[in-house]
Amino acid sequence: MTDVFVMGAGMIPFGRYPDHKPAQLGSQAALQALDDAGLSIKDVNIVYTGCVFNAQSMMGQKVLQEIGQTGVPCINVSNACSSGATAVREAFVGIKSGLYDVALAIGVEKNPSGMLPVAPSDDLPAEGLFGSDSMPAVFAECGVVHTSRYGTTLEQYAKVAVKNRRHGALNPKARYQSEVSLEEVLQSPMIAWPLTKLMCSANVDGAAAVVLVSERKAKELGLSRAVKIRGSALVSDPWEQRNPVMFDPNTVTRMAAKQAFKMAGLGPEDLDFVELHDCFSTAEILHYENLGLCGEGEAAGLIDRGETALGGRIPVNASGGLLSKGHPIGATGVANIVELVEQIRGEAGKRQVEGARIGLAHVLGFGTSCAVHILEKA
Amino acid sequence: MPKPANALVVCNGEQPWVRAYRCPDCGATATVETLACRRCFSRKPQEAFQASTNGTLYTWSVVERSYPGVAVPFVSAIIDLDDGLVLKGNLRTDDAASLKMGAAVELVFDDANGARDEDGEGYVGYHFELVEKANTTGERA
Repeated sequence: MTDVFVMGAGMIPFGRYPDHKPAQLGSQAALQALDDAGLSIKDVNIVYTGCVFNAQSMMGQKVLQEIGQTGVPCINVSNACSSGATAVREAFVGIKSGLYDVALAIGVEKNPSGMLPVAPSDDLPAEGLFGSDSMPAVFAECGVVHTSRYGTTLEQYAKVAVKNRRHGALNPKARYQSEVSLEEVLQSPMIAWPLTKLMCSANVDGAAAVVLVSERKAKELGLSRAVKIRGSALVSDPWEQRNPVMFDPNTVTRMAAKQAFKMAGLGPEDLDFVELHDCFSTAEILHYENLGLCGEGEAAGLIDRGETALGGRIPVNASGGLLSKGHPIGATGVANIVELVEQIRGEAGKRQVEGARIGLAHVLGFGTSCAVHILEKA
Repeated sequence: MPKPANALVVCNGEQPWVRAYRCPDCGATATVETLACRRCFSRKPQEAFQASTNGTLYTWSVVERSYPGVAVPFVSAIIDLDDGLVLKGNLRTDDAASLKMGAAVELVFDDANGARDEDGEGYVGYHFELVEKANTTGERA
């Protein structure tokens, strides 16, 4: 089977785009990625598009209506927060199959405002009567398990936000490009204990795209800026006693990481940097352990010692993460791949991770889905 | 007659109860009846059972901000019932700061905060309360 390479990557600055339709945002990212690859839409054999809130509208076809209707297959995927990563994963599978040489994977979203809605129900509204289904509460509850077992403190969760906002201040495409102090994080309004507002990712609009190609096509185009996909895994939640009454971010992440490491023939010790799904700061702490960046119960020590900060042992979310970039649901998973590509190429500017050769991207969609990709310099 | 405030509550004039389902082959429990068992894939019909009203606190959050119209703060909790079933619900306590994983709780039926449907009918809901220690020996009340 052919190896798969990322040849082009593009991302628009995350923020609010009241005057743009979602497809127009996706189109901008797609053209950036194609230009970066030195390819035209005419070279693309298949298109995968990840989207959640605008997913019913044939988003991929709408993008092609903006940038060129070539008649190629167009697959629209919706997989909660892992929608974009699922599009990348399916593009990887498509190239691996040998049917296609060039695949375009797009993630796009215009998020609603406020706390993201839950599915409607015929019963009396359950929120506040039977606990909370809001995402901050759900991730707070996941964090409190860690706190109960290992004594992880609110200050340690807050340090995740401080670190990622420090990184985000170096990323010209992040929604928030300013640092915040530990005091500011702790004193921002409590949303769901132990999560304050600055420990929650922001609703934004955004789009990102990557062009995946076969080995044959990569060699034709030249490998100098190509990035190889060493591992790709996508999993759904297995049966567990508490799931789905309580969503579980841990098991799927461990499963996907194990599969991706196995495909890559690598382990956590081989990684130079990580982009993980810090939708809430509690999640980042949990995923240090889930991805094998440290032992069980050791995650808070990593943040205390600065091991996951830029310049540390294993920088995590050098992009600023979702806490700085914002979290345009369907675009997030593609954006993480774009960050890996820019870092591995040494094109990440002020936030460049020194010696970034192998990186891991992780995305979690509750309901539940998880994708992990491992990329390496070609 | 009051109506169930969610799909789990059964109230047909007698003492209300929470209905759950158990796989006859592997014993896995769930709050919903499914076509096949989620765990062992058995297609034998799942058996409805009356959920225990005793359990322990697994995790929680004090919710300070919620959707528009929802009264805050409240404690959202995940409860492991003694029969293996897991429920999410409000945990009513005056001292959320002292909550501990593993604390004994009981399921208490209530009037769903006094909610009424459009015909003025009430509801039967439930919440959880910490089980107070009866005496210094630690025996449960």
